[in-house]
Amino acid sequence: MKSRARKIVMLLLAAALLFVSGRVEKSLNGDRDALGITISLPLQDAPPVLALMTQALGGFRGLISNFLWMRANDLQINDQFFEAAQLADWITDLEPHYSQVWVYQGWNEAYNISVKFKDFGDRWRWVQNGIELLRDRGLRYNPDDLLIYRELGWFYQHKMGADLDDANTYYKTEWAQEMTPFFGPHGTNIDALVNPRTSQDRTNAYILETKYKIDPVFAQKVNDEWGPLDWRLPEAHAIYWGTLGLEKSKKHPDKVDPSLVIQVRRIIYQSMMQAFEHGQIIDNPFANSAELGPNLAIIPKTNEAYERSMQEDPGDARNIEVAHRNFLLNATYYLYEANHIAQAQKWYDKVRQEYPDKTILQNDVNSFPRNVSLDEYCVYRVQGVATDTSRADTTAAIEGLLASSYEYLAIGQDDRYAGLGLLARKVWETYMHKIRGFQNDVGRTGLPPFSDMNKLVLSGLLDPVNGLPYGARAVIRSQLRLPGDATMPYGVISTNSVVTTHPSTNAPAGPAGQ
Amino acid sequence: MQKILAISGLTWKAALRFRLFAVIAVLLVLAVVGLPLIVKDDGTARGLVQIIITYTLSAVTALLGFSTLWLSCGALARDIEECQIQVVATKPIARWQIWLGKWLGIASLNAALLVLAGACIYGLLAWRAAKLPLVERTQLRQELLVARGSAKEADNSAAIDADTEKILQDRLKQNPGIAADLNEVRTQIKEQVKSDYQLVPPDYDRQWNIDLGSVAKDNLRDKPLQLRIKFESADHNPNGTYVGLWEIGNPETTNFFKLPPMSLAPDTFHEFTIPPNLFSEKGMLTIVFINENNMSLLFPLEDGMEVLFPQGSFTVNFIRALGIIFCWLVLLAAIGLMAASFLSFPVAAFFSLTMLAVAFSSSTLAETVDLGSVTTGSTPTAATRSITDTVFIPIYREMVNVLNLVENFSPIDALSTGRSVPWSELAAAFGQIVVLFGGAFALIGIALFSRRELAAAQNQ
Repeated sequence: MKSRARKIVMLLLAAALLFVSGRVEKSLNGDRDALGITISLPLQDAPPVLALMTQALGGFRGLISNFLWMRANDLQINDQFFEAAQLADWITDLEPHYSQVWVYQGWNEAYNISVKFKDFGDRWRWVQNGIELLRDRGLRYNPDDLLIYRELGWFYQHKMGADLDDANTYYKTEWAQEMTPFFGPHGTNIDALVNPRTSQDRTNAYILETKYKIDPVFAQKVNDEWGPLDWRLPEAHAIYWGTLGLEKSKKHPDKVDPSLVIQVRRIIYQSMMQAFEHGQIIDNPFANSAELGPNLAIIPKTNEAYERSMQEDPGDARNIEVAHRNFLLNATYYLYEANHIAQAQKWYDKVRQEYPDKTILQNDVNSFPRNVSLDEYCVYRVQGVATDTSRADTTAAIEGLLASSYEYLAIGQDDRYAGLGLLARKVWETYMHKIRGFQNDVGRTGLPPFSDMNKLVLSGLLDPVNGLPYGARAVIRSQLRLPGDATMPYGVISTNSVVTTHPSTNAPAGPAGQ
Repeated sequence: MQKILAISGLTWKAALRFRLFAVIAVLLVLAVVGLPLIVKDDGTARGLVQIIITYTLSAVTALLGFSTLWLSCGALARDIEECQIQVVATKPIARWQIWLGKWLGIASLNAALLVLAGACIYGLLAWRAAKLPLVERTQLRQELLVARGSAKEADNSAAIDADTEKILQDRLKQNPGIAADLNEVRTQIKEQVKSDYQLVPPDYDRQWNIDLGSVAKDNLRDKPLQLRIKFESADHNPNGTYVGLWEIGNPETTNFFKLPPMSLAPDTFHEFTIPPNLFSEKGMLTIVFINENNMSLLFPLEDGMEVLFPQGSFTVNFIRALGIIFCWLVLLAAIGLMAASFLSFPVAAFFSLTMLAVAFSSSTLAETVDLGSVTTGSTPTAATRSITDTVFIPIYREMVNVLNLVENFSPIDALSTGRSVPWSELAAAFGQIVVLFGGAFALIGIALFSRRELAAAQNQ
């Protein structure tokens, strides 16, 4: 009896100590975290199987992980990828706090494995797998780890946003289609997600948060800081994850590698540059396609990004200066092309002010910004005709500009229509000005009058057989107030009479008037 | 034979009495049904089927392999230790008959369990495939749930050797009396000659003529074929891929097809389907690759180009693959029984597992043999070769050669890639694994068991 009582006391004591140690451990973990002496944080929000595995395997986790790494490597060498996703899951499960492991596995899926497939759909699946691994699982266990945010931002900026992968257009299209329901047809519909008014808005905001892990409130903050961005494009998401990573890393400033902070900032700035260059989706309903155009609205913020980058990263300031100057010249040209002449002049003046000693035309040692007018620079950008007097090349350039301008008119890009038309005229004028000294040769080398060239291009585009599609021709005719197209597409009723429609019932037809 | 069957029946009874059969059967079914639920595939129907085949068959092989070793060690060693064997041995039955009876019993037990697990896997595959959309189902039937044969270009090695020898002799004539390592020179010339067969420079093309056999026009009519290709590039271009332009069939006839341009990564096996009936009446398939990249591409002679064609049904292929796995299990049973013939149960089990571990590390042994050194990480020269290398490398080489006779069969890989496991391979597996190795272990086991003093109690 005495022995039994002793056993009961011992058991109670053990239970009490277990309870107390559990309480103390929580407090100890908090202290360790506060003092910055935690190498790996306790696993939080992990599924029970993972929590059990990480605790039960103890030191053997490393051995199993090694075996899985070797198997994954062997299979990859043999081009057997069907197990890759599972092995990556197991490896990361065994080392959930090693961000390098997550980053390597995500990168391996998005870069190494994806490119092994010839079908773009397969590649896109692996890019998504890489993103999901980091976004849905890596950040779940390492919510403040800047390295994972950097990698995620890099996938969006480089793998999807840049054009090194020949499937990049496919990635952009797929991502835009995926994001359109949330951000609307122009990719800017953040307010409806932050302040949902309909049940559809609430559902969209919920899916965006739970599936894509995008907080609409933070997205709005990013948009206010860097936008307006088109959230259907990958650059906006690269900026989002980079900015979020920088925000999260503020929680543990002593644990963050300063060089990593610079890398993340670079991703944001480079994404801004990309978003400026091709951050707008231009739909072409006549060709049933879409193309990417410059997002002129973010020029001031892109410029700001460069200026901040030069301040924050003085070691790389010289390279950033070169990129900044190229950006300013591009901004000038794109604004000119879009008929925002005053704005173009403003940014061109900035080039003159900040980079007065750098020539801007190739093979012209005197082409300092002060010596080259805005018109001359933009004409040069079209075909490099500043020193060229080739009639054929100039004709081709003018005709190309005019054709492009009318195509933009057809799809509602009126600014670009006007800008390209103006540019075509400037190219014509520049060329004719250059050959004015050779009066005897004007008949041989001169161009036809600009209006004649314009009419020729327009008639070609309006040609019913070889020209633009009927709908595009109709828009151009309407916009330019030209007479109607004599050639109608099949099936279109060519009268103005009212079309009588039958009642939409299944009742037998009766005599009129009944 | 009746006596052997009687012992075999006793083994079955013991397995049933100790509920071993039931426990392993339940474990097998759980593994087959449960694994596909927890294992993540790559998101494609093809990946799903591949992962089901690989993981379930591997799990079944591992589970049955370990239980076979355990059972075979226990079946004999424990009978001896618990003196039950004395009751049997005093009957009019020879020791070899007892040994063979046990072997047959364990083998038949394995056969029953393998049939059960195989049926579950097959049923699972059929069920999962039936739930897929028609397009994916058709693709699976063409590429995975099928037994595909393989055809390659005719062996060029004789022509390469002849060219090599001719060039070597020409050079020797041009440079009489030159002191050089002729073998090394020959190797280098051979590589140069091989490159003529393998390299496709920019703006050039390379043609392969692959003989599918005269029966192709009957057997392969209207059936799509697959090309499995691989190339290497001298350098890595920024986007990591190259344009692949393929023309299949005879360009001088209408029986000719141009595939749309492909974006292909180097150092990777790519498999794609080509339209049916592009081969000639004699079964010759002509394939042309046009290199429009700005870099030379190299198609290795060994595995640069392969044509895969349907050869038989998946069901029969699956049965043949299970047949090879069964051969491995029979060998394991022989090893376990052999060990139990002269060792106590724990030592026999340890001995058998050690042999299994050695077999599993055959790839490490092969790497060591390739490297030529046990102790260093680089290939030693004649001057730096240690005594350890001199002794162990030949031993390892022979071990690898022996182990390859057992391990050079890969039924699970073949099934998971839709490759045919021919009857000849099954026959070779039976001959090498069961008859040669199993027979050798059986002879040793019987000899040891026959000479063993059974009445000497082991556990006293």
